[in-house]
Amino acid sequence: MIEKIISLLFLIGSLTYLYWAQEFTFGALNSPKSGFLPNLAGITALLLSSLLIFRQFRFKKTTNKEAVNWTKFLFILIGLIFYLMILTIVGYFVASFLFLFYLFKVADTSGWRVPLAISFCGSAAFYLLFSYYLKVALP
Amino acid sequence: MDILNLLLQGVSVSIIPANLLSCIIGVLIGTLVGVLPGIDTVSAIALLLPFSYGMDSTAALIMFAGIYYGSKYGGSTTSILINVPGEAASVVTCLDGYPMGQKGRAGAALAISAIGSFIAGTIGLIGLTLLAPPLAQAALAFGPPEYFSLALVGLILLSKLTGTSTLKSALMAVIGIILSTIGLDSLSGISRFTFGIDELDRGFDLSIIAMGLFGIGEILTAMTHADAKPDIPTVKFRDLYPTKEEWQRSITPMFRGGIVGFLVGLLPGPAATISSFISYGLEKRCSKHPEEFGHGAIEGVAGPESANNSAISATMIPLMSLGLPFCGATAILLSGFMIHGITPGPSLITERPELFWGLIASMYIGNVLLLIINLPLIGVFVQLLKTPLNILMPLVAVVTLTGAYSINNSIFDLIWVIFFGILGFLLQRVGFEPSPLIIGLVLGPELERGLTQGLIICNGDIWAFITRPLAATILSLGAIVILYNFVTWVTKLNNKRKELNVN
Repeated sequence: MIEKIISLLFLIGSLTYLYWAQEFTFGALNSPKSGFLPNLAGITALLLSSLLIFRQFRFKKTTNKEAVNWTKFLFILIGLIFYLMILTIVGYFVASFLFLFYLFKVADTSGWRVPLAISFCGSAAFYLLFSYYLKVALP
Repeated sequence: MDILNLLLQGVSVSIIPANLLSCIIGVLIGTLVGVLPGIDTVSAIALLLPFSYGMDSTAALIMFAGIYYGSKYGGSTTSILINVPGEAASVVTCLDGYPMGQKGRAGAALAISAIGSFIAGTIGLIGLTLLAPPLAQAALAFGPPEYFSLALVGLILLSKLTGTSTLKSALMAVIGIILSTIGLDSLSGISRFTFGIDELDRGFDLSIIAMGLFGIGEILTAMTHADAKPDIPTVKFRDLYPTKEEWQRSITPMFRGGIVGFLVGLLPGPAATISSFISYGLEKRCSKHPEEFGHGAIEGVAGPESANNSAISATMIPLMSLGLPFCGATAILLSGFMIHGITPGPSLITERPELFWGLIASMYIGNVLLLIINLPLIGVFVQLLKTPLNILMPLVAVVTLTGAYSINNSIFDLIWVIFFGILGFLLQRVGFEPSPLIIGLVLGPELERGLTQGLIICNGDIWAFITRPLAATILSLGAIVILYNFVTWVTKLNNKRKELNVN
């Protein structure tokens, strides 16, 4: 099912891209302009994604996929979004500490002291490495 | 003789303490990347790009190359010990390496794998030394039509060779090309598909997409799969001696693997992985004991492990002499060249000979270092394998995000890293290989430049591309591949119909 949804998204994406590509001049064969390749690429993507969808509906294949813990996936996603949101507000060190600790708990790391200690040491080490050694202007 | 002199000059560059240290760091990181199953070569190099800003360009590139070929050395360790390949190129090593481990011969399998990697890696390097300079010389005669043909045929071959569905790989490559059109058009100076967002003007940074697709994608995969912790056997140094019979049975497969790997490495696609499978099939066919394959045949470890290392050296040839990367890892290596202001290609050998030959010489040194470092450190790597993924992955996630932020100091980049991470995770779940997307992204501008400038040169006559001997030769190769695909598809369809009629 996910495969069909993704292929459908590619089809919609290709159509949208092709529509937007019309904003740029195509030019002529002896003088191609900025819309030349986008149009060709858009048409190719449209053809390929249509063919893929046709194949998926015509020939049904069942593949054995490893089970995924979707609840964990959702929690990691929430964590990533939360990290982006707080990064500029509370600063790199605090945000990374909170994010690390959150991920450790999502990844079923037992206890509180060890995850807290690794989160603190990890975020401090990364802060020192990037901020002092690599001179990155961290938020 | 000339090449030997130049190589000796390269050695003098690569043994400068800073460069030698970079080589050691590179091969060590590479081995670790290979050993740890959750971390991929492409994402590791992408992750380390910001760390190289302050480094000298030669030292930085020596380190990145070290990570690249070093990772193939380490990949076999987990295949042999826990039946989990550390790298895609070591998948086939599980077939006989793990059964050898089960019989108590894990040490011998690891030693044969390391020695085979060294021998074949050297074969590949000799090929690289001999082939790259004349190819770079020949490439000076290339015009836009030839570059367009090379990029196009590279993408066609890549779609055929990724190991997944040709259609899916082709779609991924085209999506990569589409992504490459976002931003400021270098030919006309017009902003395309940016919707007034200034951040999009510079286009998609290759390392940002690679960190997302491979880095965050891998982290999501590793953290959402509940795998039981495997039993890891303890390997001591004295266990590493292969028996006389094991030696005798391994020597020929090592050399054969080296040659197969080198030839496959010249083709676009994940050469290391493909060559290991081809080598395994070849060894099984040539072996006097084919019945032992799958139950711990030493040839099944020696051949593929040699092939994947030789292939790595061969994949450096199109990158260094033409400036065209034909696999995900060389695409990200190209990014490493670019951030240090170096454009690989025909002019590299004439404009920066010290870098070109220094890099090649460092690969010879790195190959020896890997053999020296790897065998005694097997015990340490085994201990490292015991690091729980639930501790490792969150730390890697923070390093990846911080590394991505540090490239442009932009939160906007982090949004893209996360977006492509989710995309990479979902794509892998449904059998889409993300590497062609990266190659499409890299080759896209080359393809566009070659096509538009070529058409202008040929006054819009598309057939003129075919009248140019070099472009015609390259394009006909692509046409043969498409024709072959079509004939295979029609034959399969006919066979299916016949089967249905019979039933």
